[in-house]
Amino acid sequence: MSYIDLNIELTDEHEQLKRETHKFAKDILRPASLELDKMGPDEVIKSDIYWKAMKKGFELGYHSIFIPDTWGGMGLDPLGIHIVLEELGWGSADFAVAFGVSCFPAFFSSMMPNEKLIDEIIEPFCANTDATFIGCWGITEPDHGTDTLCVGTEHFDHPEICCQVRATKDGDDWIIEGQKSSWVSNGTVATHAMLFLTIDPSMGMAGGGICIVPLNLPGVRRGAPLDKMGQRALNQGEIFFDRVRVPNDYMVVDHESYTGMVDLTLATANASMGAMFTGVARAAFEEALAYSKERIQGGKALFEHQNIKHKLFNMFQKVEAARALSRAALIYNLNNTPPLTHYSIASKVFCTQTAFEVANDAVQILGGIGLSREYPVEKLFRDARAALIEDGANDSLMITGAHCL
Amino acid sequence: MAVFKDTEQMYEVLGGLFTSLMENEAVLIKFLDAKITILYEINDPKGQIWLAPSHGVVCGPCDATPDVTMWISGDDCHRFWLKELKLPVAIAMRKIKTKGSLPKVLKMLPLLGPAYDAYPDIARKHGLPIK
Repeated sequence: MSYIDLNIELTDEHEQLKRETHKFAKDILRPASLELDKMGPDEVIKSDIYWKAMKKGFELGYHSIFIPDTWGGMGLDPLGIHIVLEELGWGSADFAVAFGVSCFPAFFSSMMPNEKLIDEIIEPFCANTDATFIGCWGITEPDHGTDTLCVGTEHFDHPEICCQVRATKDGDDWIIEGQKSSWVSNGTVATHAMLFLTIDPSMGMAGGGICIVPLNLPGVRRGAPLDKMGQRALNQGEIFFDRVRVPNDYMVVDHESYTGMVDLTLATANASMGAMFTGVARAAFEEALAYSKERIQGGKALFEHQNIKHKLFNMFQKVEAARALSRAALIYNLNNTPPLTHYSIASKVFCTQTAFEVANDAVQILGGIGLSREYPVEKLFRDARAALIEDGANDSLMITGAHCL
Repeated sequence: MAVFKDTEQMYEVLGGLFTSLMENEAVLIKFLDAKITILYEINDPKGQIWLAPSHGVVCGPCDATPDVTMWISGDDCHRFWLKELKLPVAIAMRKIKTKGSLPKVLKMLPLLGPAYDAYPDIARKHGLPIK
């Protein structure tokens, strides 16, 4: 099912992009993620279903939507990016996040391209069509989660609070040591990490840096894939760095500009989450609407019962509001540097909360069958629940956003 | 004291930089293919420099519509083209502000790459400070 787009200025290209992405999400991602949801995390990454879906996504270019066509990326405009992310989220939050974070090393390299990054990261990533070049965002640590994103809060510059993965200069190289936690998306399947680390601990978290790290370097080790409640087809897992030597050209951001780049990263990531979880909310609403028109109770379709109609209209309004906010925030922040990060945070918090509430209502409308795996709403509910914590816990993000008010 | 003594000198140096860039056929073809109109809104000294496929390099007002606008000071422009000011630092320190689709901003970066090579000689020729 599609939706009426209130943007009357959508181009033919946008409409086509929406149709094509929806088809991919419906035919490939949704069925794959439902099957993978039943498996353990080790089985997921051994499964042909997982790799076929990943490869198809790469083949169609969904891993490169943020990267300019100069480098071979899809180079979509911000509205096109939102359309794609919503459709991917509609099909599967798991794969939407996997494709989204996969581009991080190449996307950030494209902001400060040098010859080495162009030849070894940006162009090979964009040209990859078989999911053999997968990126991840290594920021979360056993002792640090959302606090790593809270630029502007009191703790961020506190010299006694800093991330445990450290980089120290050794000649022309950097030596990296430490551990990223189980929540690194694509963590155990990624070939490259965009790694957030500490360079100058005396500056606290503000003394960080961002380094592109090929994960086949000596000293890199992975943990087991994480077994979790929602988004079970999204691979997540620890990465350990034991004196990993990385050339200086791969340290794309140093402590001089780290704070600004964390802000930019959060603005991009949270805006993307808003778009994806608008898609999740829409998926749950559509499932509930379709079911309500088929299921007969008390001699008439559920939809004909006034309280169900009321609930469905409330869900519809929330989905439309989520799309309106997430589109506006994403388009504004991908058109303005520095971004207004609190609008991206508002989008992430509102849309993930909306997805959770709409999925919860969908389970309620379906009744007992909504709790079963016969319908996807219970998965959508679990996926949405995870998103209230993923990419920054909503409670903490709101405190960070409030600093900008 | 500002690097550029006045707008006229800035136009001469930066306008000259971009004009020489467009004389490079490979760069020109890529620039025309990209179809991106860039406006540098410069302050201290105040001025505008346009790179527009429809108009070429224009110093001062132009009736084109920018796809990407970059706000930057004359001093930071000088440091940027000398590679003394890196883009992430410039963004982080709010020394550059941009308006325009991020993919277009990023697409522009490799097109302007040869300007980095040409700028030190041009700056030297005009007696501008180089570390």
